[in-house]
Amino acid sequence: MPVDRARLHRALNPKTVVVVGDKGPNFQWITNCSEFTGNLYSVQLDEKEAAGIEAKGIKNFKGLMEVPGEVDLVICAVPRNVAPFIVADAVKKKVGGMAMFTSGFVETTEPIGIELQGKIVAMANEGGMPLVGPNCMGVYNRRLGVKFMQGQEKGEGGAISIISQSGTHGIGMTMGSQRLGVPVTRTISIGNAAVLNEADYLEYLLDDPETPAIAMYLEGIRAGRRFFELLREGTKKKPVIIWRGGRTKAGARAVKSHTASLASDDAVWMALMRQCGAISTESLEDTIETIAALVHTPKSSKKNMALVAMTGGQSVAITDQFERAGFEVPELSDSSYQRLGEFFVTIGGSYRNPFDASSTIGRESDNLQKILEILADDPVIEGVAIELQTRDFEKSTERMDGMLALMSEYRTKTGQPVVGLIPTGGGMGDQEEIGSRARVHVAKAGFPVFPSFRAGANALGRVRAYYEELEARTK
Amino acid sequence: MPDVIATARKQRRTLLSEVEAKDLLAEAGIPVARAILAKGQKKAVEAAEAVGYPVVMKIVSPDIAHKSDVGGVTLGLKDAKSVRKAYKEMIERVGAAAPNAKIAGVAIQNMAPQGIEVIVGATTDPQFGPVMMFGLGGVFVEVLKDVAFRIVPLEARDASQMVREIKGLPILQGARGAQPADLPALEALIVKVSQFVAAHPEVAELDLNPVFAYPNGALAVDARIVLASA
Repeated sequence: MPVDRARLHRALNPKTVVVVGDKGPNFQWITNCSEFTGNLYSVQLDEKEAAGIEAKGIKNFKGLMEVPGEVDLVICAVPRNVAPFIVADAVKKKVGGMAMFTSGFVETTEPIGIELQGKIVAMANEGGMPLVGPNCMGVYNRRLGVKFMQGQEKGEGGAISIISQSGTHGIGMTMGSQRLGVPVTRTISIGNAAVLNEADYLEYLLDDPETPAIAMYLEGIRAGRRFFELLREGTKKKPVIIWRGGRTKAGARAVKSHTASLASDDAVWMALMRQCGAISTESLEDTIETIAALVHTPKSSKKNMALVAMTGGQSVAITDQFERAGFEVPELSDSSYQRLGEFFVTIGGSYRNPFDASSTIGRESDNLQKILEILADDPVIEGVAIELQTRDFEKSTERMDGMLALMSEYRTKTGQPVVGLIPTGGGMGDQEEIGSRARVHVAKAGFPVFPSFRAGANALGRVRAYYEELEARTK
Repeated sequence: MPDVIATARKQRRTLLSEVEAKDLLAEAGIPVARAILAKGQKKAVEAAEAVGYPVVMKIVSPDIAHKSDVGGVTLGLKDAKSVRKAYKEMIERVGAAAPNAKIAGVAIQNMAPQGIEVIVGATTDPQFGPVMMFGLGGVFVEVLKDVAFRIVPLEARDASQMVREIKGLPILQGARGAQPADLPALEALIVKVSQFVAAHPEVAELDLNPVFAYPNGALAVDARIVLASA
């Protein structure tokens, strides 16, 4: 069924939301929408539940048809046997669309579940009603305060939108992004993707002016061909990060040729990613860190990094990781070395690039300022990664704020990526809690920050490769 | 030219003969070592004279998937006498190894000079439809798995990336003092095969193995096409 884009738009940006079948003691869905800016109603037949809902100040109705005015989004949380009746009412009322939290359908592989889903899909298709799910967490809209988790932020503007075939990963990607200082425009948990599939959602987000970038978690692909075509063109418009989980079983197809025997699911998937210029990730951490690198750095396909570490060993380790991730760590210009030589403490330190800088910037940030000024003036350097010390952070954020201000100044002046690294383990293994809080602090200041050199190098490397590919494809 | 796909369909075959496959590919502008189907010693010699000596003789049978396993390939036939002899022996050999196979004759093709062996193939992915593969060819292709894939239709830059994506690229670029292969010719061949596959949705599987990559040009020496079940 072709998607009714206007109706889908209403469902994803609702003015009126009706929760059907919410239950105490938590009233999960109504509570999730407590910051919703529009009209929120409930439909619940159970007298006792209805009383609890009314007690929360939400008007309850006995049926969807009784709700006054236009309804844009129905959140359906009824038991599976009741779900077809709710869909029938929603179709009749011509609601914008429905997010179906109800589960117990094809995912159970039970005949009854398969039959019920078939019924729901047929009704939604016939009524032209976009249905998100079933077996999903539904939709989050930051600007409007429609949520499926209380921790999801409410506020203006977002830097990325998320599509997830798994509710858990949808939550993980959203909360993880927020933790790294990335506001999420919207998250759509697509569940069984029975009516709308991944290509429909991708198409919507590619055209969505509120969505600057897209991240997806996918297991299977329902509309492979359309997805390929949309993705290939779409990544020229906005970056798309895809974390793929699971593998499609090749099945018992008779392999008659060399090509067929080699065309594994993985091989074809990697080809898709490469051909479409999408950013491929392999885990939740990868995905969130790549989102942070993408959102918190200026667009750049450049390779030449200045790396500032705090010990000799770390300066080697950071260089290894960035080089492996496709970056170069070049020598600086002679004039930079001259200027650095005037103040840099070379006993227990060095400034060839990478920098071993703890003796030089250990106590005060004046010298970091000088280093960053020199790097900003050096035409060789196209980006900076800095190991941020958490010394005294638990007492005061002042020192960290000073460094962040300098990093911010550098980024504004040069338009280059600036990355913070607060590695876990090793010498500061017993201070992980401080490191963790420090990372949140750095992220809130709008910098990508990573718990290891490897994570930072890989995340920034994926983003850099995307822009390089984009330049090659659009020139 | 008769419509080989329609003919195969009518005969309820999904495997095209090498001669049919090459006719189709040549028609699409893909450089192939053309093969002529010949039945009988006399026709075999005529075919050899038409393509030019030296020639390769291969058995043509819808029932034989791997020709060399049944002694169905003879290389380097330099004159009419050796073609006649090879024909007689091949029919006997294959008859003994595969007594129930229906023999349509032999395919005679000019013996192409040796080039670097690569494979260009296409298959149908259950999720994404037609996909193409490129890699170093020969008998170890399935062991080494040094191949790159792209989804059809390919753009020129997809073909260019595919060729450069494999680990064996230095071999194509002229390792150990050898002459480098003509990469643009390989890329052009890949793009033409992509166009061919896109234009023929009936084609489910295609292997050009080997394709000889030369310092100047590329040539598909063997071709297998399997049609989708109708």
